[in-house]
Amino acid sequence: MPPKIHTEKLSAWYGPKRAIEDITLDFEEHAVSAIIGPSGCGKSTLIRCLNRMHETIPKARAEGKVLLNDEDVYALPAVTVRRRIGMVFQKANPFPTMSIYENVAAGLRLNGVRDRDKLDVAVLESLKQAALWDEVKDSLDKSGASLSGGQQQRLCIARALAVRPEVLLMDEPCSALDPIATAKIEDLIFDLRKDYTVVIVTHNMQQAARVADTTAFLYLGKLIETAGTRELFERPKETLTESYITGRFG
Amino acid sequence: MPQAAERKALEKGLRKLNENMVTLAELSELAIRKAIDGLTRFDTEVAREVFTLDQEVYGLQLEIERTCIDLIALHAPVARDLRTITTSLKITTDLDRIGRYAKDLSELTLQFGSAQARPRADIARIRDMADHTIHMVDTSIDAFVKRDAESVRNIMEVDDEVDRMHDEIFIDLVRRIEDRTLDTESGARYILVNRYLERIADHAVNIGLRVVYMVTGDWLPRIRAADRAKRYPKPTSGGTP
Amino acid sequence: MNLGAFFCVVIALIPLGSLLFEATVRGIRSISPGFFALTTANGGIGNAIQGTLILIGLTAAIALPVGILTGIYLAEYGKNRVGAAIRFFVDVMTQIPSIVVGIFAFSLLLELGAIGIVSSRLVFSTTTGVIALSTIMIPFVARTSEEALRLVPISTRESALALGIPRYRAILRVVLPSASSAVITGALLGIARVGGETAPLLMTCLGSGYWFEGLDQPCESLPHTIYVFALGPDSALNQAAWGASLILVLMMLGIAIASRVVIRLRAGTR
Repeated sequence: MPPKIHTEKLSAWYGPKRAIEDITLDFEEHAVSAIIGPSGCGKSTLIRCLNRMHETIPKARAEGKVLLNDEDVYALPAVTVRRRIGMVFQKANPFPTMSIYENVAAGLRLNGVRDRDKLDVAVLESLKQAALWDEVKDSLDKSGASLSGGQQQRLCIARALAVRPEVLLMDEPCSALDPIATAKIEDLIFDLRKDYTVVIVTHNMQQAARVADTTAFLYLGKLIETAGTRELFERPKETLTESYITGRFG
Repeated sequence: MPQAAERKALEKGLRKLNENMVTLAELSELAIRKAIDGLTRFDTEVAREVFTLDQEVYGLQLEIERTCIDLIALHAPVARDLRTITTSLKITTDLDRIGRYAKDLSELTLQFGSAQARPRADIARIRDMADHTIHMVDTSIDAFVKRDAESVRNIMEVDDEVDRMHDEIFIDLVRRIEDRTLDTESGARYILVNRYLERIADHAVNIGLRVVYMVTGDWLPRIRAADRAKRYPKPTSGGTP
Repeated sequence: MNLGAFFCVVIALIPLGSLLFEATVRGIRSISPGFFALTTANGGIGNAIQGTLILIGLTAAIALPVGILTGIYLAEYGKNRVGAAIRFFVDVMTQIPSIVVGIFAFSLLLELGAIGIVSSRLVFSTTTGVIALSTIMIPFVARTSEEALRLVPISTRESALALGIPRYRAILRVVLPSASSAVITGALLGIARVGGETAPLLMTCLGSGYWFEGLDQPCESLPHTIYVFALGPDSALNQAAWGASLILVLMMLGIAIASRVVIRLRAGTR
């Protein structure tokens, strides 16, 4: 089966500084792929190149190919790409002036969907998929900021899912959360793989071990090794990988 | 950096674990050597020493189990650390068993000693098998201590040899009992000795296989089975697999 | 240390306090219905108030959209050299003395009148006054709007873009609303600022003793009235100047309070 996303010799620069180098990597459909590595290794840059979010940073550029279902992501309009490849960020950031309902509906509304029924259905389904519906169904018009950290992050996940992307990118989604909130989100990621392809960047190796089917290890902008998660954590092939995951770096 | 501090504790734990494992292995090997020595020379003094050794082996095994569980709980080890710890956990069972068989052999020595008549039968073959067995135990324990996977890669073949010897000796012992060149009681005891030696060799094989896994991540039985399946595919009801 | 700081605060507040005190005590005597109904030609300030309101109204109508859009440009698209240059010019413009702005507007209309593009009557008119005040208000609103938008965290913008929304829509429908209270505050402060400007009006819309007569006519304003009344020999008018001052101060105070209320209200709805 062809991979959902295929990158071919992908490199990216911020101004003169190269952040990732010649990364060739596949992300399988309906699977969770994790990207691990020390700070500054290029993990965030890599996933931003997948939905062209790196373009929002001045002086950023990328070379190489990114294929979504064999379509060249850089040949499509950026706006289309981002609708098909959604993203959740490290710090939960619901839109401050909008209610919970409006937050989840924002992606659709701001893309021109006006039909109230359609929006209602989308909000309901997305909040259910994000395991948040039961907690907020009676307070949909409260501000997004009235929720706890973990709930806010699930709200952001619902918001991203509402536009029905094919892929969901997650940039360290749990790093600001306590263990219980983290566990809830990890459970939900586990369920998401039925309908979506998930790519999660994490600096917490145990998290990668818990949720991901495949794990890729990046170091100083290069792809060192990628394998099934169990394989990578039981018997990594590269010494560098072993040093990193056993915590003996530096 | 917090990571480095955590590793220090893990490293310390792993060092302690390794020390204990080496001690345990040495005790087990010593036990089996003494047991076989006592058996072949009908020396009841040496036999009694083995009982003490077996106790020590058991106690140390419990401590090592405790250490392994602690390391897993506290440090969530992965890769080589994980393999080392789980291998240690498994090997202690084999080493403990070896110690137990050493004790059983020593009990037989004591029983032989109180027998009215010393058996006159030539038990050279048993001595031979005992040498092989000790050699296997020595090799696999050495491989563990030195983390050397190569020296035990062929341990399964050596075990085949020991199994063959066991079968031959068994047939021989039965024959001797039947044609009265060996009294039934001693014959029965020697059958037990034969059995114990073969079992000890099996445990040495287990240790060897686990050492290969610990060092390389390869679990040979699974790989061999997969190879065999490839070479001799099971016939299926339709088409080729 | 604390005592010294407190002491300095008291010193700093004395001028403000005494100003409010004086303005109230002296000005209150002039307040009467007639004060508001009569024109300056007749000792009242009705047309002055009208003029000030018209001037700041028209100025706001021009300067707010232009200023806010400039602020949006600088905050969202101005991270490059061009943006830096524009920002620099805008900063410089906020520092230009208002009398210079007045001369600028005056001579601009003079030139245009001489070439014949517009009637030279416009030199002293409401239009010129609005041009001058806009030139002051636009850079101010641009900078406050830019600052307001910068306060919106990058993550908000990124989340909006990550939903596949075109950039302009993300700015207008997500970022700008998030910054709205700060932008509104900036706008109100800008209005307050130009409402009190006197120097540019001296050279542009001059003054008039009559009710508002048209965009192409001179126009009275409160600051101008205060200037004329206070310096004239007539003591009745001197008194009226205090009354006008009180009214002007109250207007400025009103705007300051309004901006606080706006912030409170918006914070309260969260």
